[in-house]
Amino acid sequence: MEQILCISDLCKRYPSFELRNVSFSVEKGSIMGFIGRNGAGKTTTLKSIMNLVHPHSGMIRFFGMKLADNEQEIKQRIGYAAGGINYYHRRRISEIIRVTRTFYSNWDDGACRHYLDSFSLEPEKRLAELSEGMKVKFNLTLALSHHAEFLILDEPTSGLDPVSREELLEVFLDLASQGVSILFSTHITSDLEKCADAITYMRKGEIIASRRREDFTERYRLAAVSGELTPVQRGLAQGIRRSREGQTALILREQEDKARQAGLTDITAADLETIMVHLEGGTL
Amino acid sequence: MRRLIQKELTLTAAPLTYVFLAFGGMTLIPGYPILVGGFFICLGIFYTFQFAREYNDALYTALLPVRKKDVVKARYLFVVCIQAAGVFICGLFTVLRMTALRNVAVYRANPLMNANPAFLAYLLVIMLLFNTIFLGGFYKTAYYYGKPFILFCVAAFIVVGLGETLYHIPGLAWLGTCEGAGLARQAVLLLAAAMVYAAGTLLSMKRSEQCFDKLDL
Repeated sequence: MEQILCISDLCKRYPSFELRNVSFSVEKGSIMGFIGRNGAGKTTTLKSIMNLVHPHSGMIRFFGMKLADNEQEIKQRIGYAAGGINYYHRRRISEIIRVTRTFYSNWDDGACRHYLDSFSLEPEKRLAELSEGMKVKFNLTLALSHHAEFLILDEPTSGLDPVSREELLEVFLDLASQGVSILFSTHITSDLEKCADAITYMRKGEIIASRRREDFTERYRLAAVSGELTPVQRGLAQGIRRSREGQTALILREQEDKARQAGLTDITAADLETIMVHLEGGTL
Repeated sequence: MRRLIQKELTLTAAPLTYVFLAFGGMTLIPGYPILVGGFFICLGIFYTFQFAREYNDALYTALLPVRKKDVVKARYLFVVCIQAAGVFICGLFTVLRMTALRNVAVYRANPLMNANPAFLAYLLVIMLLFNTIFLGGFYKTAYYYGKPFILFCVAAFIVVGLGETLYHIPGLAWLGTCEGAGLARQAVLLLAAAMVYAAGTLLSMKRSEQCFDKLDL
């Protein structure tokens, strides 16, 4: 399948944080969820992809072209939206559109009007008057009006109420069905259960996994722990969490039989959130 | 580049930047250190930098399909446009003072600097200081503008002080005249100032382009 984005061995060093050999790819028409806890390096990775920060090493290719050599052409074909980041918040939507449209060779006024109507955005409103969800929709309108083939969304659903989040997820699904690819960073994993085709999981500046969502969740099982963990059970656990009902351990699916023999019971499928909190939580 | 400059003029520019061009009218104030008008024109441009930072313009522009170097170039060209408009306004009033108003009593008995080509040369020096000290300092971070602006203020008022002092020194009286042979020397001075302004601004722009290109936004 055609790769829209391919990142290999991306490294970026800060005094207290480092991106280490980040590699993954996004396929055409797919929605990739980019997950990890706050501070894992998701935003730094996305900013590197947009050339907003400079990686120390690594290769970034869009549509088979090197970002470093084709930045202008690539930016004609992609869109970026981030939750919680505002610009020109006192300007009217119509003013920003009037200026922005001049930069894109394939700007489509009809598409712009269509998305303004679809998202109920009033051109005479100022950005400061929009809710966070509407601001994301405005950014999407800008991106879709120049027929962006690839959307990079940095936590677009953060701070949104469940209904607004659901609406946005439906928009993403519609876009993906039209062939638009989406890279969608979030720590709200339930959003990805509804729309993501693939998951890239980042922890402490490193990619832990990047694969199809079903393959990612199928790799793990959740087991209930009764009483204290034995050394064998602890050895099998990828992560252990405590809740009101007792402890749970995340195990690898391939070790399910061993886990049963070790006394772990109620072994069930694990969802994204369960996997993430167990892996991030470590062992108690 | 044309689109970026249009963006600067219509979306990014603070309205006060245009309003402060009216300080060019200070050229007509008799008994006043008229070079301060040039400082106010630069202060008006400074408001655009405040405006742009408040509006997160760096992020908006960086996401557009443009080269980062062109972002800096467009801002410099915007500044040069405003300064050129300021010098033009001051120039018009200078010509007015030197021709139709030359015999007006308050100008003939003017105790401070006269409006003449030397005044316009000083004006260009103040604007060059803005472009090198303020713009050059700002683009080291593309965020902090306090220190570069204070440094510019100090440098600009030193030039205002020099402008008001030098023509009192024997041998430099031609700097203050509005007639006679001194005007030819002032014209040469103005031409030299224009060349230094152009070269200095270009150098500052190149250095700022390099700085901005390396910055993480």
